[in-house]
Amino acid sequence: MPPSASAWRRLDLHQALTVAALLVLGLMTLFSTSRADFSSQLGGALAGVVLYVAAAAFDYRRLTAAAPYLYALALLMLLAVEVAGHTAFGAQRWIRVAGIQVEPSEISKLLVLIALSAFLARRETVGRREVLLLACLGLPPTVLVLLQPDLGTAIVFTCLLLGLLFLAGAPRLVLAAVLGGLAVAVPLLPHLLRGYQKRRLQIFLDPAQDPLGAGYNLIQARIAVGSGGVFGQGWLHGLQGQLGYVPERTSDFVFAVYAEEFGLLGSLLLLALFMVLLYRIARAAALAPDRFGFLLCAGAAVIVFAQVVQNIGMNVGLTPIAGIPLPFISHGRSALLTDFALLGLVQSVVLRRPLVSAAPAARVTLTESGTIRLPV
Amino acid sequence: MQAVRPAWNARLIAGGLIALLAVSALAVRLVQLQVGEHQRLAAAGVETRVHRVVLEADRGVVYDRHGVQLAGNSPAWQLSMLPAALPADAVLRQAELAQVARLSGVPEPSLGHLLLSAPDLYAPVTVKSGLSADQSQALAERLPQLPGIQLDPLPLRTYADWQDFGHVLGYTNRLNANEYARLKSLGYLPDETAGKAGVEAGLEALLRGRNGWADVETNAAGLPVRTVAEDPPLAGDSVYLSIDAGLQQAVGQYLRDGIQAAGVKAGAALVVDPRDGQVLAMVSAPGYDPNQFTAGISAAAYQRLLQDPAKPLYDRALAGLYPPGSTFKMITAAAGLEDGKLAADTVLPCPASISYGGWTYRNWAGYDMGPMNVEKAIAVSCDTFFYRVADSVGDMSLANYARDFGYGTAPRFEIPGAQAGLVPDEAWQAAQCAQSGAPGCRWNPGETLTMGIGQSALLTSPLIQAMYVSAVANGGTLLQPTVVSQVRAPGGEVVSTAHPTVISQVPVSPANLEVVRQGMRQCLQAPYGTGFLFRNDRFKYDGGCKTGSAQYGGSGTNLPLHAWFTFFSPYDHPEIAIVVVVEGGGEGHDTAEPVAVKVADYYYSHRDQIRAA
Repeated sequence: MPPSASAWRRLDLHQALTVAALLVLGLMTLFSTSRADFSSQLGGALAGVVLYVAAAAFDYRRLTAAAPYLYALALLMLLAVEVAGHTAFGAQRWIRVAGIQVEPSEISKLLVLIALSAFLARRETVGRREVLLLACLGLPPTVLVLLQPDLGTAIVFTCLLLGLLFLAGAPRLVLAAVLGGLAVAVPLLPHLLRGYQKRRLQIFLDPAQDPLGAGYNLIQARIAVGSGGVFGQGWLHGLQGQLGYVPERTSDFVFAVYAEEFGLLGSLLLLALFMVLLYRIARAAALAPDRFGFLLCAGAAVIVFAQVVQNIGMNVGLTPIAGIPLPFISHGRSALLTDFALLGLVQSVVLRRPLVSAAPAARVTLTESGTIRLPV
Repeated sequence: MQAVRPAWNARLIAGGLIALLAVSALAVRLVQLQVGEHQRLAAAGVETRVHRVVLEADRGVVYDRHGVQLAGNSPAWQLSMLPAALPADAVLRQAELAQVARLSGVPEPSLGHLLLSAPDLYAPVTVKSGLSADQSQALAERLPQLPGIQLDPLPLRTYADWQDFGHVLGYTNRLNANEYARLKSLGYLPDETAGKAGVEAGLEALLRGRNGWADVETNAAGLPVRTVAEDPPLAGDSVYLSIDAGLQQAVGQYLRDGIQAAGVKAGAALVVDPRDGQVLAMVSAPGYDPNQFTAGISAAAYQRLLQDPAKPLYDRALAGLYPPGSTFKMITAAAGLEDGKLAADTVLPCPASISYGGWTYRNWAGYDMGPMNVEKAIAVSCDTFFYRVADSVGDMSLANYARDFGYGTAPRFEIPGAQAGLVPDEAWQAAQCAQSGAPGCRWNPGETLTMGIGQSALLTSPLIQAMYVSAVANGGTLLQPTVVSQVRAPGGEVVSTAHPTVISQVPVSPANLEVVRQGMRQCLQAPYGTGFLFRNDRFKYDGGCKTGSAQYGGSGTNLPLHAWFTFFSPYDHPEIAIVVVVEGGGEGHDTAEPVAVKVADYYYSHRDQIRAA
């Protein structure tokens, strides 16, 4: 059921403005280093706004029924990458759909979130059985992105699984067991990682090992961030970024370019904006009329959080280099559209929140203007 | 009526706290990088982006006395690579190095070695300079596909007509480790080019100029974006040699012809102005091509030059030492006259041989040439006459006169390598004996006799001979030789002009010197003179000469001879002195004199051009 004209007024404007602010900062940063990427990102942003509004208008509850199909679609797309993907940066991440390059691992974040939320929403409690089933659902896409190999998205999926379990109310003992299991599994990870990923991890631990190869990214990103100082070099004046010393300066390391040009003040502003965004998403979860809506919003928060921390973390050398876009800042239309759809769905939940605190007897809906609408 | 309140559950709040904690960690890290380490990282950024490049000064050009260019800088390209801008992927990098190796002719392992030993990944490493036109074009076309590879203009030192000018000009080359250690304090760079021989080495301080530098900001691909700061280089001074290019080429040609006609391999010839000591021509044969050094000579080619028995790298004109033979007789005559052992009209016999101390000392002619005065003795080069004069003068005095005419001292000269030669006498022999400790070692009085005809242990160089003949010609002034006539700053203004440098006045009275000069004149003009080849209708210029056929390679009879010829002209106010030596060339009048005849001919037929201001 599409929202009525008056329902639109319930839209979380704070969230929309925060997204707009992030988008502007992201576009400014792209403009600074690559006009081509700026233009394509601008096109993506316009399409993204349409998708955002459409997702908000769409009743998220209808996704429950579609969840299994969306899950299957995600797996199919990821398999397609394995079969026909194009090689980029030593990893297979792209497939071509109707002439457009699509990055399934980005889209799959949204699809897997919907699938897992729909699954958990159907269960009243989260016990061992649910954990096992959830793991069975989460493992195939995680393994598929790891095979690409896309360590970044695999990290996001892992965070999503853990976050959903935690927020869905899994008992502490179960959570402890899952974390324990991960603690055992992670040391095995180097054996599962491909050559260049293993190397990246080693370089992260000691960037001087290979200043010409993988360590270069880390050193140059750190130099760019540090060169920013408190006030930054000024927009369009970050030399490390402008002259191309920052690698992948419009995607994975766009933050380094941003931090060089806008300094500590800009960096903290960006962190603050992401915190506001996370708060607005969490608030949407807290307002959700049903468990599915709650899980959808909570999961969206986990996805945004994981991406922000992993991306900025690797830019400043706190987390290993695992290619992952910074939401609304990094260039990449698949990622941008996915993020818009994700937050559009959060708006969809917000739009469908109940207007009065539980007065179960009278199914009365209050409009913002104060008039009472009786159910038909 | 109230809006629904968010239902914050504990897990949501806990999640929020986790998020806050993580983002705070990021914020702390950002403060650390952007405030704490800002200066260090910003400096590292500048170091990454900005590189000091040396702007090598244009080396001064070398001209002949009339401004004909002899050594200059021609456009060429230098290949270098920026390690940091090469492909990060090892396979791609290897493929690129293989292609660069193929295009530049530099072996791939050397490229790898250069890369490994690079001290700064963001500073370009020179791979090869003086690339050929083909190579630089082939590289330039593929440059866009070769990240980290650069081609920069770097002038290549090039030299004119190597056969005739090689030894005078010398060459430049990159400093080796020893030379760098010596020159570091003068601001030389480890791989800088400097003069290694000839005028290039001798006038290095003038020609080099002053290097500048520029702090250039480059992008990650190694391409310069802008110059941050700069100190422009100052070009070296231009040097105008006293050499006349046309005369030099003529001398070179005649000398090589003469050497070939004599069936030998080597020789040297000089033309000097006896009025000011300026060298008009100076050739050592065989020569070498200095261009092959500046383009980077291969080890094999260098070994060939070093091992060539004719020693092409050796500048015989100033470093070649030979016994002077009969060309020494003017000194013996002057000594006899000045010491009063002889007068201009003293007549002495000229037998086929004389006996002295139980040994027989022969004249070059196997017959008695009859009694003669000193002038004729010079003209016919009578050995037995000069044995007698030398004996009466004594070895110590004769040696002193030899030194007065420049023997035994390396001339100060702009081209490095001039040798001193050797003047023997009793004192020298005593020192030799003290060193060897051989029993019965002492000066044999017979050595005095042979020294009188330019043998014994006497050694001289063509350059020393030229200054000695000049002193005889100009009335007794021993001059310092010079090969430079003028030095000009890059702007064209004259920095300095050569002026004659007098070393000393020889202690021979003008009257006595005139007797010696007359002897040389008779040598040229008298029917009995050994300079008979000059006596033809074409050569009508007055002057003086002396032939020499110097024995070498031991003592005894039938030894091989170096052919000498010394000459000055005109007789009054002489303006040229010529010295020719043909190594192992036999009789002076056979092989050395014909060269001098042609040189003198050339000089007088081109005198106006050569002497044009």
